[in-house]
Amino acid sequence: MAPPAQTNRSPSPSQPSGKSEVTDLKLQLRQLAGSRLPGVDDSKRELFKKVISYMTIGIDVSSVFGEMVMCSATSDIVLKKMCYLYVGNYAKVNPDLALLTINFLQRDCKDEDPMIRGLALRSLSSLNVANLVEYLVGPLNSGLKDNNSYVRMVAVIGVLKLYHISASTCTDADFPAVLKHLLLNDQDTQVVANCLLALQEIWSGEASTSEEALRERETLLSKPVIYYLLNRIKEFSEWAQCLVLDLVVKYVPSDSNEIFNIMNLLEDRLQHANGAVVLATAKVFLHMTLSMTDVHQQVYERIKAPLLTLVSSGSPEQSYAVLSHLHLLVMRAPYVFSSDYKHFYCQYNEPSYVKKLKLEMLTAVANESNTYEIVTELCEYAANVDIPIARESIRAVGKIALQQYDVNAIVDRLLQFLEMEKDYVTAEALVLVKDLLRKYPQWSQDCIAVVGNISSQNVQEPKAKAALIWMLGEYSQDMSDSPYILESLTENWDEEHSPEVRLHLLTAVMKCFFKRPPETQKALGAALAAGLADLHQDVHDRALFYYRLLQHNVTVAERVVNPPKQAVSVFADTQSSEVKDRIFDEFNSLSVVYQKPSYMFTDKEHRGPFEFSDELGNLSIGTESNVPAHVVEANDKDLLLSTSEKEEIRGAGTNGSAYTAPSYDSSLISIATQAQPDLAISNAEVAGLSPQSSLAIDDLLGLGLPAVPAPAPSPPPLKLNARAVLDPGTFQQKWRQLPLSVSEELSLSPQGAAALTTPQALLRHMQGHSVHCIASGGQSPNFKFFFFAQKAEESSIFLVECKINTSSAKAQITIKADDQSMSQAFSTLFQSALSKFGTS
Amino acid sequence: MLQCIFLLSDSGEVMLEKQLTGHKVDRSICAWFWDQVISQGDSFKQQSVIASPTHYLFQIVREGITFLACTQVEMPPLMGIEFLCRVADVLSDYLEGLNEDVIKDNFIIVYELLDEMIDNGFPLTTESNILREMIAPPNIVSKMLSVVTGSSSNVSDTLPGATASCVPWRTTDIKYANNEVYVDLVEEMDAIINRDGVLVKCEIYGEVQVNSHITGLPDLTLSFTNPSIMDDVRFHPCVRFRPWESHHILSFVPPDGLFKLMSYRVRKLKSTPIYVKPQITSDAGTCRINVMVGIRNDPAKIIDSITVQFQLPSCVLSADLTANHGAVTIFSNKTCTWSIDRIPKDRAPALSGTLMLETGLERLHVFPTFRVGFRIQGVALSGVQLDKLDLRVVPSRLYKGFRALTRSGLYEVRS
Repeated sequence: MAPPAQTNRSPSPSQPSGKSEVTDLKLQLRQLAGSRLPGVDDSKRELFKKVISYMTIGIDVSSVFGEMVMCSATSDIVLKKMCYLYVGNYAKVNPDLALLTINFLQRDCKDEDPMIRGLALRSLSSLNVANLVEYLVGPLNSGLKDNNSYVRMVAVIGVLKLYHISASTCTDADFPAVLKHLLLNDQDTQVVANCLLALQEIWSGEASTSEEALRERETLLSKPVIYYLLNRIKEFSEWAQCLVLDLVVKYVPSDSNEIFNIMNLLEDRLQHANGAVVLATAKVFLHMTLSMTDVHQQVYERIKAPLLTLVSSGSPEQSYAVLSHLHLLVMRAPYVFSSDYKHFYCQYNEPSYVKKLKLEMLTAVANESNTYEIVTELCEYAANVDIPIARESIRAVGKIALQQYDVNAIVDRLLQFLEMEKDYVTAEALVLVKDLLRKYPQWSQDCIAVVGNISSQNVQEPKAKAALIWMLGEYSQDMSDSPYILESLTENWDEEHSPEVRLHLLTAVMKCFFKRPPETQKALGAALAAGLADLHQDVHDRALFYYRLLQHNVTVAERVVNPPKQAVSVFADTQSSEVKDRIFDEFNSLSVVYQKPSYMFTDKEHRGPFEFSDELGNLSIGTESNVPAHVVEANDKDLLLSTSEKEEIRGAGTNGSAYTAPSYDSSLISIATQAQPDLAISNAEVAGLSPQSSLAIDDLLGLGLPAVPAPAPSPPPLKLNARAVLDPGTFQQKWRQLPLSVSEELSLSPQGAAALTTPQALLRHMQGHSVHCIASGGQSPNFKFFFFAQKAEESSIFLVECKINTSSAKAQITIKADDQSMSQAFSTLFQSALSKFGTS
Repeated sequence: MLQCIFLLSDSGEVMLEKQLTGHKVDRSICAWFWDQVISQGDSFKQQSVIASPTHYLFQIVREGITFLACTQVEMPPLMGIEFLCRVADVLSDYLEGLNEDVIKDNFIIVYELLDEMIDNGFPLTTESNILREMIAPPNIVSKMLSVVTGSSSNVSDTLPGATASCVPWRTTDIKYANNEVYVDLVEEMDAIINRDGVLVKCEIYGEVQVNSHITGLPDLTLSFTNPSIMDDVRFHPCVRFRPWESHHILSFVPPDGLFKLMSYRVRKLKSTPIYVKPQITSDAGTCRINVMVGIRNDPAKIIDSITVQFQLPSCVLSADLTANHGAVTIFSNKTCTWSIDRIPKDRAPALSGTLMLETGLERLHVFPTFRVGFRIQGVALSGVQLDKLDLRVVPSRLYKGFRALTRSGLYEVRS
């Protein structure tokens, strides 16, 4: 949170400090305070206006607080409003004086005019002074029962404000129950919406300490409440609709009929004029149908048009946010959008980040039928004024070429780029031609003819130069003057600043040498000599390596340098599918705009307005990315780590059919820790974790919330980092280096042994205790696991080897630790976690 | 949920600060924001969602005024942006335009409005019709009234009736001596014509705007002759969904005054009303440019306000452009505007001239994009036509009016 504003704010130098003016105002206000002359309201109003305008430009006028309160006895509503505004702003820094305002605010809360009652109540609850909450309970109570909906609406939010000032006062006065009654019975939909908002926050806040609140929070997601809200949704204001839709996303319908009913009911929301409603509805649709592949596809079709319209019709600010969401959908299901590619054509005056998104989408939706037109369009951007976009579009052409079977036309275009004689176009095109040749060697003749015409002097960018040199080496038999170009490049060795280029040059000269020895010999000698003298370590090493290789055996060297080439079929993708899935789960949130899941950019405590969240988020498959799972010992035959299995699950997940096989993954932990940020897995707590029973199952069904354990009675002895990361190499190295700390045999509970049918089950369980698996394998009855854990806020790592025999229900554990002193504590923790497996 | 709203002037001065929750947001965030604006320039101003070191900011810019909202929690981004757009709309509606002075003069009203529009960071009432009943706009009439009657409150005494009615966008007791309803079809044509002169994209975004002044609670139905060509329709909350589903009829109880009844798109149009043909040839450091404009498909109505605008590439040193019709202006930022207005009967307008390139540059590599503007009154180019407008209970003295207008949206011709 930002630091408290008033206390340390000094008027900025550019603005008048206003000291004398404030004293002046103070005097004038004092004169008016007692006056009952006619027209006094008008003069007061002028003064109040001045005070507030000073406040607005940042001058501290808190010193006139007393006078303002004295003047507040008036029937003029505008004066009252100004006074409320002033009081609300300064009460917190003047808690003593704020007491003075209570009197008149309480009186106003009983005014005849509902507007004044509402405003007074709002100001009273906005005072934000902890000592004064006792005066708030009464007015709120009567406000909630007021027969005017405006007052009730204000009172409901007042309860929420009270909760944030003093949670205990709020619950003691039994306000949540009153709100719940209003939620289900009030006529006015705005009151209902405010109740929903307030209850979600209050119960989420209470859930960590109170069983009841936890239950109540779940009832919000129960069928009757959801249906009650859904049936009235059209009466709600647009913002309240967003709120309800946000709640519905978390509701898990019991069967597909229910899903269809809800979707039918909500379908017209997609035609709402408010973009926020449209996106919230889209989110409901997408999440409800995750398990139904066919319907999920239809949902894409259905929400496509509204989103595309939002992009083109809204203000530029809105279109960017919608475009980001659309980008996400396009990346997930490009084929759905393949006929709408024209929507992604860039307009001349769009900002470049919008163009970039559009280029990515154009690349993704390209298929056999539309490639020609998309590439034509992209080629026009290559002459764009905006150079980064011109580059991006050339890259996009290249990506499409690498995706497609029919590259005929595209290659021609790329070659045209090379003839455009613009530095950056040539540079980008060269890199692409290189990639293309790696994938489609059959095009070499055409490409080489054009590339051969490019003078190496015109290529300056290291990447492009490296690409050109690679081609010179690789196809030296087809390019008549390649040895001579390479030779001249070698002569300028010292002027070449990029080590990447020098490395490529060395290799290219080598390749060329084996193809055309007599012509290249001189260049090779020069290159090797220059390489050996090079100051860059890699270049030096490679030169030395080549030199020795040649010395050792020339035929071997040829096999090393010029092996038969295999065409590259797939280039590695950059953004992992896990991350994409994760972002998809956070549809209609800031994550989408940033193209990062929220854990990558928000602090834990800010990750949601309340921690209701992610029952559905959990259903995503493949968030295992936090746990690098690899085979540790390749020769350990029983370590059949299921990377392949995981791939399968993940693949199915993106198809949307693996809804029923969710993983109990780290995101759940994050929720648990969110609810109680310092949740520590201590012995005491683990023992008290029985409410976590059926945690995983509840979670599968999306019903339950992670039961959060009662706070630890004593400071926990050992905390583990829930997001520990370790790479297999380090694990292996540490395992070899560290001495044995603990080696024990223990027995598993019979249920645990029974539950262990696949390694995954235990992995998820242990992850819940912040113990991560790095490798696992074996088949029933013998399993073997390697776990690791990291001490919270420290780098100290614990490593565990765990062999389990399910038929005898025995487990053998070996623990190694960075910090030997903690290994015993960790061992107890690990064992208790393990013994919980299956019983929960 | 939103924690704070700031209104900044175009010099970065904080004109207004409205804290929404107990967690105060320090004003220093505005200083940070403005530093970024200065250092990063326009591209920063165009970003609607920004991550500052302490908060996430939503911004929209209207008439030079930056509306800034801060939050620290995850929330639907469109909610923040849409809300700010509504605030801007309501303010400009209330204050009859937006600028620095008008906001500073009426900051009390702005505070009052924000107070009703958002509470505890969650948007409440953003319908300007309803807000008008709670807070009277600062127009001359009310000022006069307050002087004459001596009661100087701009807050109405009663609560809006609509908050309790089942038609939240309308009060029940509206009376007019003359009942009027006007329906406007306003269409914008977006088109891209590529380097080879091929129309690669052409679609129309249309809105049905209604201005209604009718006594009581009127129930209107509006039908189109050819509703099937409308692609993706979106409605004002007052439109009933079922009649549209079954018969493509708009049935609604309108808000009082002007509002946007629906919007639609018509895709895959085959032609544009005018053509713009640029030709650029360059040789030995000079470049000949020639642009022809003419009517392609006569819409049988007058096409006016025709303009052609383009940005000269940065490598152009000087330009000498003349037109046989209309005026050509070259601005200091190398934007060139050719305003033609109407196309004369006797000749086709043409612009021609030479561009001098930077020394050392033989040919032009970067080609300008021509943005075309036009306006046609009396016709909706998409072909959408209003059929009829009926009232369930026809009041005495009803006047119904229909109009149509097509103008260019993003219409660009590449060269």
